[in-house]
Amino acid sequence: MLKPEINELLTRTGPATPMGQIFRRYWIPALLAKELPEDDSPPVRVKLLSERLIAFRDSAGQYGLIDEFCAHRGVSLWFGKNEGDGLRCAYHGWKYAVTGQCVDVPSEPEGSIFPRKVKLTSYPLVKIGDVLWTYMGDPALQPAVPQFEWVHVPEDQHYTSKRWQESNWLQALEGGIDSSHVSWLHSGGLKNDPLFKGAKGNEYNMSDLKPHFEVAEADGGLFIGARRNAEEGYYYWRITPWVMPSFTLVPPRGDHPVHGHFWIPIDDENCWVFTFDYHPVRPLTAEELQAMKDGYGVHNQYVPGTFRPLQNKDNDYLMDRGAQQRGETFSGVWGIAMQDASLQESMGPNVDRTKERLLPTDTGIIKARQKLRKAAEGLRDRGLQPPGTEPAHQRVRSAAIVLPRDEAFIDASREALTVMPGVAQTSV
Amino acid sequence: MDEQRPTLLNSSAAAATAAEAAFRIDAPPPPPRSARVIALDSGASEVIRRVAEQSWGASHFLSYRPGSPVITAGGDLPDVLLYGADGTTLRQFSQETDGADMVFMVATADDGANAAAAIGEACWYRGITTGGVVFGDEANVRRAVAALRPHARVLLVTQDEDDVAAVLTALRA
Repeated sequence: MLKPEINELLTRTGPATPMGQIFRRYWIPALLAKELPEDDSPPVRVKLLSERLIAFRDSAGQYGLIDEFCAHRGVSLWFGKNEGDGLRCAYHGWKYAVTGQCVDVPSEPEGSIFPRKVKLTSYPLVKIGDVLWTYMGDPALQPAVPQFEWVHVPEDQHYTSKRWQESNWLQALEGGIDSSHVSWLHSGGLKNDPLFKGAKGNEYNMSDLKPHFEVAEADGGLFIGARRNAEEGYYYWRITPWVMPSFTLVPPRGDHPVHGHFWIPIDDENCWVFTFDYHPVRPLTAEELQAMKDGYGVHNQYVPGTFRPLQNKDNDYLMDRGAQQRGETFSGVWGIAMQDASLQESMGPNVDRTKERLLPTDTGIIKARQKLRKAAEGLRDRGLQPPGTEPAHQRVRSAAIVLPRDEAFIDASREALTVMPGVAQTSV
Repeated sequence: MDEQRPTLLNSSAAAATAAEAAFRIDAPPPPPRSARVIALDSGASEVIRRVAEQSWGASHFLSYRPGSPVITAGGDLPDVLLYGADGTTLRQFSQETDGADMVFMVATADDGANAAAAIGEACWYRGITTGGVVFGDEANVRRAVAALRPHARVLLVTQDEDDVAAVLTALRA
C-alpha cells in the first residue's frame, strides 16, 4: 500500500516534478538508432518525460533533439525540411541547428542579429550501440555516457527493440523487479519460447513454485535474488540487478542471450519499453535474431509501421482461451512481453496503489519504491545526486547460479554480477 | 477476439482508461494485517523500539534476548520467550501466533539464530508467512543473513533503518 502523495511523487515525471528531476539526472534511451538511419533523415516526433520534442540528424551526421515547435508561432517542426545544417520550419522557413539555435529567419534582413536571440530547448542526443540516448538535465551536471554492457558489445552481439506501453512507467518497472510472477504468468514460455526453453534452470523454476527472495543493496540500485530448491543441499538462484531509475536485466537461461529492459516515461500514462538482448561473448545467431524480430523472448510483434504492439487493448491482446486451456499460455495472451504488458495496462494508466494488498514476497518492489522515494526527496530537498549515474553502477550483470544453501548470493556471485569483458554470463 | 462486438466499453481491454477507473468498485480499505515483528538481538531491539512508537494496527513488537533458552511447549514445536514493547512483559511466541498472519524477524547479528530457527519452524507448521530484515556492518550482516535465510520467505538486507517501517506500512501492518 502506498499513500496517495507518495504514489504521485513516484509516478509523475513531467518537468519540475521530483521524479521527473530524477530522470533528468540520467542518460535515457530516446529512440532506436534506426529511426534516424542516415543524414538528413525525416525528423521524428518524440515525447519524453512529458516534453514534446523533435529528433533529427543533419547533413554532417550530428543528432539533435529539440523543442518540437517553432519559436515563431508554434508550428510543429515535424513538417520541416531537413536540409544542410538544420531543420527548416515549413511555415515561414525559420531554421534550427541540432543545438536548437536558430540560424536563419528568412524574413529578416541579411546580417540581422535577431536569429542569434532565438534558441529552442535542446538536449544532447548521442548514438551508443543501436540506441540514441539523451540527457535532459542541467548541462553542468551531465554524467558520463551510459556504460551498460549491452550497448558496448560488438554490433552483432546485441539487438534492441522498443514498444509503446499504455501505462505509467512505474507499474511496468515493478513487473521487471518482481520475479514471483514468472512461474505463473510465463509458465508457457519456459517450455515453448525458443529464447527461453531448454535450460537446466527452467526445471528448477517449474518444480518449485514458491521461490524465496533476498533483496540486497547495490551501489546503483538493488540486487534481487530469487532462490528455488535445486539438488539436495543447494539452491538455484536467479539474480536481477536494478539500476536506477528504470534498468533491469533478466537472469540468463542456459546459453541464451541475456535480456533486459529500460522503461522510459513518455508522459504519466504511457511509457516506452526499450527491450534488448545481448550475448557477452558471441554473435547472436541468425535463428536468435529472427526469433527476436518475430516477437519471441521479451520482444513483440507490431502494428505495421508503428511501435504499437500488434496485441493491444483495442483487440483484447488477441486473447486465445483455447491456448490458455491447453496450458500453452497461462493468461491466454501470447508472448512474454505482452503477457506482462496486458496485465500492467489492465491496472489502469496509473494504478491506484492505495488499494493494494501486498505480500512479504513483494518486498523487492517495496524496497525499490523506498529507494526511488528517497532519491527524489533527497534531490528535491538537498540536491543529492541519485545512485546509478556512475559508470561502475551500470557495469552490472544478472546471473543464474546454483549455490550451497548456506552461501549468501551477494558474496558468492560478486564476480558473476560484474561485467567482465570476454567472460560469458553466469548461467544454468 | 469475440465475434460479437462489445456493447459497453468495459467489455474490452480498452476500458483501461483513467475515466473507466472511476467505475472500479470503491471497496473499503482492507483490515490491517496482524504482524508479529520480532527483534532477534539488542541492536534490532533498538530499531523496533523506535518503529513501535508509530501508529500500527493489530501488530505486536517483540524482542528476543539472546541467550534465552528455546523451550519445547506442549507438543513438539519449539517455543521462545519474548519481551513486549515495554521491555518487561514476557510472552511465549506460541501465544503470539493466535491471529497472526505474518511474522517479521529483524536482526543485526546472528545472536538470535536459535530463536530464528524456532520461530521459523513454528510458523511453517502454523502456515504463517515469515520475512526478515537484516542490517548492520558487512561481517555481522553475513552471519545474520545465513541464520535467517532458512526461516524467512523473503529477506531484505539493508543499511536503512527506515525500511522496517516502510515494509510494514506497505503491507498494512
